[in-house]
Amino acid sequence: MTEAVNTNKIKAIVSACRIISRMNRARPDVRKSEMLYYQMLNNYFTRLLNARQNGDFIAAHTVFFPAELIYAMDMVPMHTETTTWMISLFTGECTDILAAGAELGLASEICTPHRGLAGAFALGTLPRPDVMLWSNMVCDNTAKSGELIMEMTKCPGFFIDHPFKDSEDERKYLVGEMEDMVHFLEEKSHRKMDWSKLSEIVARMDRQIELVREINELRKAVPTPFHSQGFLELVSVDYLFPGQPEAIEYLETLRQELSDMVKEGKGAVPDERFRLMSLFIPPMYLMSFLEKISQEYRALSVVEPFFTYWGEGELDPGKPLESVAKKSYMLPEMRMYGPMDERALTSIVDCAKQYKVDGAIYYADVGCRHTCATIKLFKDVLNEIDVPVLTLDCDVVDPTATSEEEVREKLEQFFELLEDR
Amino acid sequence: MSVASDILQGDNSKFHMLDRFREINSTFPKTSQLLDYKRSGKKVFGWLCTYSPEEIMHAAGILPIRITGYSQETELDDGNAYLYVNNCSFSRSCLQLGLRGEYNFLDGVVGGSTCDGARRLFDLWRYYIGTPFHHVLTVPRKYTEKAHELYYREVVKFTEHLEEFLGFKITDEALCQSIMLYNESRKLLRDLYDLRKLDNPPITGAETMEILNASFHMPKEIFNEWLKELLREISVSGERNSGRARIMLIGSVLTNPEFVKSIEDQGGLVVTDELCTSTRYWGDPVVLEGTASPIRAIARRYLNNFPCARMFPSDERFNRIIEFVHDFKVDGVISQIVRYCVPYCHDLPLLTKRLNNIDVPVLALDVEYGTSGSGQIQTRVQAFLEMLEAKRK
Repeated sequence: MTEAVNTNKIKAIVSACRIISRMNRARPDVRKSEMLYYQMLNNYFTRLLNARQNGDFIAAHTVFFPAELIYAMDMVPMHTETTTWMISLFTGECTDILAAGAELGLASEICTPHRGLAGAFALGTLPRPDVMLWSNMVCDNTAKSGELIMEMTKCPGFFIDHPFKDSEDERKYLVGEMEDMVHFLEEKSHRKMDWSKLSEIVARMDRQIELVREINELRKAVPTPFHSQGFLELVSVDYLFPGQPEAIEYLETLRQELSDMVKEGKGAVPDERFRLMSLFIPPMYLMSFLEKISQEYRALSVVEPFFTYWGEGELDPGKPLESVAKKSYMLPEMRMYGPMDERALTSIVDCAKQYKVDGAIYYADVGCRHTCATIKLFKDVLNEIDVPVLTLDCDVVDPTATSEEEVREKLEQFFELLEDR
Repeated sequence: MSVASDILQGDNSKFHMLDRFREINSTFPKTSQLLDYKRSGKKVFGWLCTYSPEEIMHAAGILPIRITGYSQETELDDGNAYLYVNNCSFSRSCLQLGLRGEYNFLDGVVGGSTCDGARRLFDLWRYYIGTPFHHVLTVPRKYTEKAHELYYREVVKFTEHLEEFLGFKITDEALCQSIMLYNESRKLLRDLYDLRKLDNPPITGAETMEILNASFHMPKEIFNEWLKELLREISVSGERNSGRARIMLIGSVLTNPEFVKSIEDQGGLVVTDELCTSTRYWGDPVVLEGTASPIRAIARRYLNNFPCARMFPSDERFNRIIEFVHDFKVDGVISQIVRYCVPYCHDLPLLTKRLNNIDVPVLALDVEYGTSGSGQIQTRVQAFLEMLEAKRK
């Protein structure tokens, strides 16, 4: 792969963000937080786009990775899965990168965010990272994706081995893994970890989690104030801006907006009909369609146990590394990684009850084995408390996996079922 | 004789002891040894992955057996319903057998955080199948000293959990005896594999798989005696196999000897493998060094053993495979990956490159667990063998 990379995928994301921002400015009803959100995305990917030219150090990393450490060392992060998602979301097209992934010899069973990512690197449509960082949070695909990218881009890499369960031994091991990664990054980048900066980031991350909890409280209101696919904004902000000032600004703005709406008794849609639980990630390429159909049927996602529903605990800026490790155990997604015990199952039931959920939609991504293996289990648990579950077969990135027509038909049937109840 | 042996059709005259191993496999999980064990009031535990330390269970007086799925490709309606179609057919097959009560005799199930399929199989087993004891171990993916310490602590916790369940302590003496027994098994299997390094090995790959399948489904005390007897039989038999090319089989879990036989029927001489049901099962011994506690020695062995594709860095596994390629004079490698066995899927491009760099061609097959290797697979194997023959000329 040549150094003179064709970064057109990043350019495409940046262009789309700019167009959306321009369009939003012309909308009288636009939320200020929405404006901030697209500006943040624009800034994130513009920084990445210009990183080589600016002499920045690019650290590519997988999902649920402690990116706080990357920010504290003043590196430019490249969240790999989110980059693939954003390519799908903003361009609606991933055929070329998926085909390139297949040409590398990656089987079709490898999930599209990772197959597409490898393909995107092979095509030279992403900037070459200076380091590749990855972990086994939250599945085999994340655990196994790093080495091929290292080899393709000829960059060094570090793998964080995230323990499966939660115990004192395991937390200690995770902190040790992070310490080793800091040494690795210091050696490769010739820059030192700024521990005081990391403490500041941790303090902000703690605030960030608290703000999401407050937003979730507001989403409990009937009618719910946040639009249906809005939770993806929360997810993206968490993934791309952990402990960053812009994340705080966005979340505070959003919280204020939702708080005002709740005070006024105003919902995200007029005459809310169905309150839904979203289990896992909807297809990126159907996002506008799903938003439209949720308006049409006045059916909104009010809670996402594995994406926005943080675990208990607080972070301590006085112990920054331990706190970053602790945060990884508080992640909503962590409930899907450890043993599927009562704690995980109880959280679904609690969410369904607290958020007065009428039904749940399980986005069954064909490439996501560890989530799909819970479909029956979650259905059984939710059915016990009289919450029906719709399983929507899809792929988070690949538009050929399912069509709007199929999804519409299934959703309409599901809404009819909910109506009959 | 040709490697296209008729062993699996019941050529009873070749090696008498093979029939006994076959009987174990054909009756599993209702084998007489298991039933006898249960009748005597002892406990039988099932384990889900090779990172579950058998010696700990054995030292507690438990018979550890491997949970495997149907021996042939089967409709997996229940497995699909519970684990969904995108989990590997091995997990779905095992779960279906469990759901249908075939493993109801088990007193415990032990798993590890080894791969998505294994951990979800454990989760659903725990929730839907009422086996009295469950334990899942965190298995690190690295070989660092910190990783070894964590895994050691995990094995200690597993031992303590087991002791609590049984109501007695597992002694170091019992652990040492179990280590010796299991090491003997490993040594005997290594002796068997050494015979396959010969230009004309006396035993085929399919026959070897019959022995391996029995090895994790019966008491090691009996298995070792039977294997010793078989090795004696082989040594005086004068059996020799030849083939068109020497093949190494790698990839996902595989227990159907018919699959190996389908390669051998076409003239491929399967001389070695890298499978969790074979070399990665018996690969390395437990080394009791000085005053190190037996549990520490066991933990070190299980984490350092011939690695699964889940481990990092992958070159540890690749280098071991390349070592085998040289030791067994392998002409070509057949990779069989069960669909949705993601760790092996990710490794394939990297491993293929390394093998091609030493001029060893790779045939990559996507399979379902239990497949006998018919149809399209046979056609592709045939073409691969022809290519290897042409390359040799």
